[in-house]
Amino acid sequence: MWAETGKQILLAVIGLSAGAAVAGGLFSFIVELGVIADFADRTHTGDRLLLYESSVAVGGILGNLFYIYGGTALLNLPELADVLYGGAGIVLLGLFGLLAGVFVGCWAMALAEILNVFPVFMRRARIVRYISVFVVSLAAGKSLGALLFFWQRW
Amino acid sequence: MASEKKTLYIKGDRDVEVTKPDVMLGDILSMECSDPSVLPGIKTLKIVKFGKQGQQRCVVSVLKVIECIHGKYPMIEVQNLGETDIIVTYEEQKTPPEAWHIIKTAFVAAAAFCGAAFSIMAFNNDVDVTKLFGQIYELAMGKESSGYTVLEISYSLGLSIGILIFFNHFGKKRFTVDPTPMEIQMRLYENDIQTTLVENAEREGMEFDVGGNGKTDPSGRHRT
Repeated sequence: MWAETGKQILLAVIGLSAGAAVAGGLFSFIVELGVIADFADRTHTGDRLLLYESSVAVGGILGNLFYIYGGTALLNLPELADVLYGGAGIVLLGLFGLLAGVFVGCWAMALAEILNVFPVFMRRARIVRYISVFVVSLAAGKSLGALLFFWQRW
Repeated sequence: MASEKKTLYIKGDRDVEVTKPDVMLGDILSMECSDPSVLPGIKTLKIVKFGKQGQQRCVVSVLKVIECIHGKYPMIEVQNLGETDIIVTYEEQKTPPEAWHIIKTAFVAAAAFCGAAFSIMAFNNDVDVTKLFGQIYELAMGKESSGYTVLEISYSLGLSIGILIFFNHFGKKRFTVDPTPMEIQMRLYENDIQTTLVENAEREGMEFDVGGNGKTDPSGRHRT
C-alpha cells in the first residue's frame, strides 16, 4: 500500500518537473524568437502586450490539456460532440488552422532570421537587389511544401 | 547677446514622434540652461520641415541641432547629454478608429493563442509524450498505463505553473516587479529597428547633418 503511494508520488514529482521544464523551454523559444513582439509592433498594439502574453499562456495550457484529455472530454460530453460535429467544428477548425498557420509561418521565418540565414546567404551570393523576390519565393516555397506534405499524406 | 559664457544642456530621445510638419527643437529635445530666458527662443527654432502628406521619417544628427542653435546664439556652449542621432517620425494627427484597434488586438491575441496551443500539441506529438509517460508509468508501477494517470495530471499542472512563472504574470497581476520576457523582447526589437533606421540614413547620406545635404527635402527618396 505504502509502496504504491510512494510510486504515485514519484510519478507526480516527475510529471510536475517535466511540465515545468517543458514550459520553460518551449515558451522561451516562442518569446525569444520575437514572433509576438513582431506582431505587436506591426499592428501598433504594444500596449496590449500583457494580453498577448496571457493568450500565449492560456493557449499553451489549454492546448496541452486538449492533447492529453481531448478524446475523453468529447466522450464524456456528448452535447459538445454534437455541436462540434454538427457544423460548428469545421468553422472552428478552419479558424484554428489559419491562425496556427500564421503563427507557425512567422515562427519559422523568425527562427531563420535569428540564425542569420538570410544575411549570410545574401552576402555570400552577393544579392543586393530584388530581395523582395527572394522573400516572396521563400513564402511560395513554404506554402507549396506544406500543400505537398498534406496532399501526399507524408 | 549676453557676453558671459552660457551653457545649454540638451537631451534627446532616440525616437521621437511629432504631429506637426514644422518640427521645432522643443519638440524633439529637452533642455536646460543657466540662463532660462534664452530657453523659449531656442525651443522654437525650426530644425526640420516635412512635406504635407502621410507618414514621414528622417534622422537628425545632434551636430545639426547644435549648428542650428549656434546660428542664432553663437555664444552658447551646448552640451549633449542624450542620443547623437534622433529619429523624427511625422505622423498626421489622425487616430484610427478604436474598433480597428480592437480588431487588430483580437487578431494578434487569437493568433498567439492558437499558435501556442498548436506549438505545445506539436511538441507533445513530436516527442511522443503519451508513449513516454506510458513507459515511465510501467517502469514505476509495473503495469500498463491507462493513459490518464497521475503523470498526465501533474504534467499539465507543472506546465501551467512553468508558463506562469516564465511569463511572470497572470492577467494584469504581476508576481514580481520585473518586466515580463515579452516586454523585454519588444524593447529589444524596437532598439534594433531604431539602430537600423539610423544606420540606413547614415549609409544613404540621408541624415540631417552639418556640411551634408541638410537642405534636401526629407521626404525626397534618392536610393542608391
